[in-house]
Amino acid sequence: MVPYVAVAITAVILSLVPLWIGDSRTLTGVAVSGLLFACYATAFNLIFGSTDQLFLAVGALAGVGAYTSAITSDRLSLPLPLTIILGMIVAMIISGLFSWIAVRRSLGIIFTGIVTLTFSLAFDNLLLGQRSLTGGETGMVIDAGKGAFFRGQIPPYYVFLTLLIGFLLAYVAIHRSRMGWAFRALRDDQLSAELSGVNVAKYRIYAGAIGGAMLGLSGALWAHVEGFISPATFTFVHVDVQVLVMLVFGGIGTLLGPVVGSAFFTYLGEVLASFSQLRLIVEGVLLIVLFLALPQGVVGAIVIGITRLRERRKGLP
Amino acid sequence: MLEVRALDAGYNNKAVVNDVDIQVDDGEIVAIIGSNGAGKSTLLRSVCGLLPVLDGDVIYEGGSIANRPVYQISRAGIAFVPAERHLFPGMTVDENLTLGAYPKRPDSDRRALIFELFPRLGERKRQAAGTMSGGEQQMLAVARALMAIPKLLILDEPTTGIAPSLAVNTYQSIATLRDHGIAVLVAEQQVPLVLSIADRGYVLENGSIQLEGSAAELRDNPMVQKAYLGVA
Amino acid sequence: MTAAILDGLVLGLQFGLLGVGLTIVYGMGGVLNLAYGAMAVASAIVVSVAMRSGLPAVPAVALGILTGAALSLLLNVTIMRPVYRRRGDQRVLLSILLTIGVAFIINGYLVWKLPIEALSLSIGGDAISILGVPMRVGSLLASAITILAGVGLILFFRRTTAGKAVRSVIQDEVGARLCGINPASVRMLIFTLSGAIAGLVAVTRSMTSPVPVSEGFSLTILALLVTVVGGLGSVKGAMLAGLILGVVNALSSFYIGSYITTIVLLVAAALTILLRPSGLFGEYT
Repeated sequence: MVPYVAVAITAVILSLVPLWIGDSRTLTGVAVSGLLFACYATAFNLIFGSTDQLFLAVGALAGVGAYTSAITSDRLSLPLPLTIILGMIVAMIISGLFSWIAVRRSLGIIFTGIVTLTFSLAFDNLLLGQRSLTGGETGMVIDAGKGAFFRGQIPPYYVFLTLLIGFLLAYVAIHRSRMGWAFRALRDDQLSAELSGVNVAKYRIYAGAIGGAMLGLSGALWAHVEGFISPATFTFVHVDVQVLVMLVFGGIGTLLGPVVGSAFFTYLGEVLASFSQLRLIVEGVLLIVLFLALPQGVVGAIVIGITRLRERRKGLP
Repeated sequence: MLEVRALDAGYNNKAVVNDVDIQVDDGEIVAIIGSNGAGKSTLLRSVCGLLPVLDGDVIYEGGSIANRPVYQISRAGIAFVPAERHLFPGMTVDENLTLGAYPKRPDSDRRALIFELFPRLGERKRQAAGTMSGGEQQMLAVARALMAIPKLLILDEPTTGIAPSLAVNTYQSIATLRDHGIAVLVAEQQVPLVLSIADRGYVLENGSIQLEGSAAELRDNPMVQKAYLGVA
Repeated sequence: MTAAILDGLVLGLQFGLLGVGLTIVYGMGGVLNLAYGAMAVASAIVVSVAMRSGLPAVPAVALGILTGAALSLLLNVTIMRPVYRRRGDQRVLLSILLTIGVAFIINGYLVWKLPIEALSLSIGGDAISILGVPMRVGSLLASAITILAGVGLILFFRRTTAGKAVRSVIQDEVGARLCGINPASVRMLIFTLSGAIAGLVAVTRSMTSPVPVSEGFSLTILALLVTVVGGLGSVKGAMLAGLILGVVNALSSFYIGSYITTIVLLVAAALTILLRPSGLFGEYT
């Protein structure tokens, strides 16, 4: 039950954030983008945290979802929900394909990282080059979402909060299922997991595909809620580096690590916004200090702390 | 020259070897015999610095070398040939030997002696170590260790994975090292072979010394005969 | 066509040397230095600033290369220390994260203090005809320096005891320690060398095209691709991979042009990795 309670508490806390930031458009924008990154980080956590596949194409996969949905809805006039599902499916297929390739060629962390990184960079170039379809560097304005209920009736903050809570619940459900058991087995020791009959390849591909679907869905929703996308929104530097940093800071393989990490870095970015020139330096210093001080991430450290405390209590007469 | 005192050693802070005392004097060949998993490798590895010394001490030429970095122990004159050999597979025989002498320049007399002991290596100076047979690699591992002109040579199961006839040759070569003033500490499961050249020996089982004595005493000991020499 | 190939070779030589600097660090300690490009840029900017304040080109370049070496050495003796206490994938991952932090700091500092600085060494003189193609003196000088540096590195690794010690640690660290080699000092040597190479590449590159403050990230990515295509840890492989990628780059921009060139390059890199995960020269250095 504990994980569901944790998700519920997170949902309550996050739903109160708009009260705190009030009517400020800028702050609301920052908060929404923080939620989007929490969604990315949760999906990435499922792929990397649970199955050790370093996908450096988080932004690109979200971009695949966003552009697929935007192009099919605006240029081909397909119904909006259909295009969002389409975006999700295309991202899912590509991501699943990465996993399949990584498994088939037994690529380690670095090689998986680099193959997916080449995809990120190639995708970025494709977006920039295919001007007629994507609008190139200037990006594209998307009209299809204008009348949609999730753009007009619900504030964007709650759209992405719902999405995040959905992802977290999915994460918990997956980890409580047979798949989660397999994830733990293959993280502990891949060889013995294989020997005891866990189909490592299958579960890796599942994780890749589900994570990819989450990314595609986030990207597609973002495209329609924002009404504007450009290649810069999905580049490796803007998304993947950030998501990796957020996840590691929060705690790889922990349920709430992605949320804590993205909340922290979103807040930090806002605090440092007024010293924009110093921002990179401060982030760099923080990264180094935090990774050295908390290698398991904040949530990881807290979990370890609680476990130790419990053990100590048990140890007392 | 080497004295191991009340040594505890093992992995992850769990002692595999407990309270072991052994001693090697100048120019002596000392055998450590025992079955698979008795702790022989753990003992030798901790002496050489590859594993931590958890308790006790290792005294070499009057000073403690316990928990010193491997490279310092090596430079102090202790050459270790692990069972896995740890050769440089992509380098030639010659290059492996050159590195054996590191940080000194390779000594030409020593090189000549090595090619006399192991003529096979002389024929294959330019061959990559990784492409040689198991027996040749074993020779190279010993040869590389000798290039450092060590005072003490430590060998862990030098006959692993090589043909029985070659094993006999290996031990004949080891026996000649005594004439060059090199002390040898060798762990071996092939007990008759090692006792045929050793001066003294220790029996290590379950991580502690069960028995010690001269090679002749050990050969005549009924327990050793029963357990390791196949005498009913 | 000949012109495209020659241009590709000029570019490829730089790619190759760039990859060598990154690959030796990986081969050595199983770590990736993602601040590598930032260090190259820092070296270039030091050269540029030094020359603007009146230092002649040669000492300025020397100062720049020293800067790269010093930065890299500093990295090795500070934040790389905890990295070496980890093993395997954990080690690579921590090195990636920490060096991203270092790259942020270097980039951030340069963008803050010298946002429009760029190094552009223009070498005068009339174009020289090679195989009927007029080549700029800058390209030829850059290539000559790169080839010299490459040959020098190979001789160092093959012929000198220090170079052999480096290779021994790459091939079997335990064996090297048993031979009396201290891996920590070898790593120090390699990190310093890697930084110096980064600086040198930044300088030669600036002879053909300007190296601006913002170039760091793309240099890192380029080095990473070359390194992986050549086989992580392989010096020969990195050089060959650099040449191949340089020629692929030049040919595809000659025949296809536009953004597709970059995509062709990336696809070529990805395919090599997939077909030969150990790289072109996967096994030993």
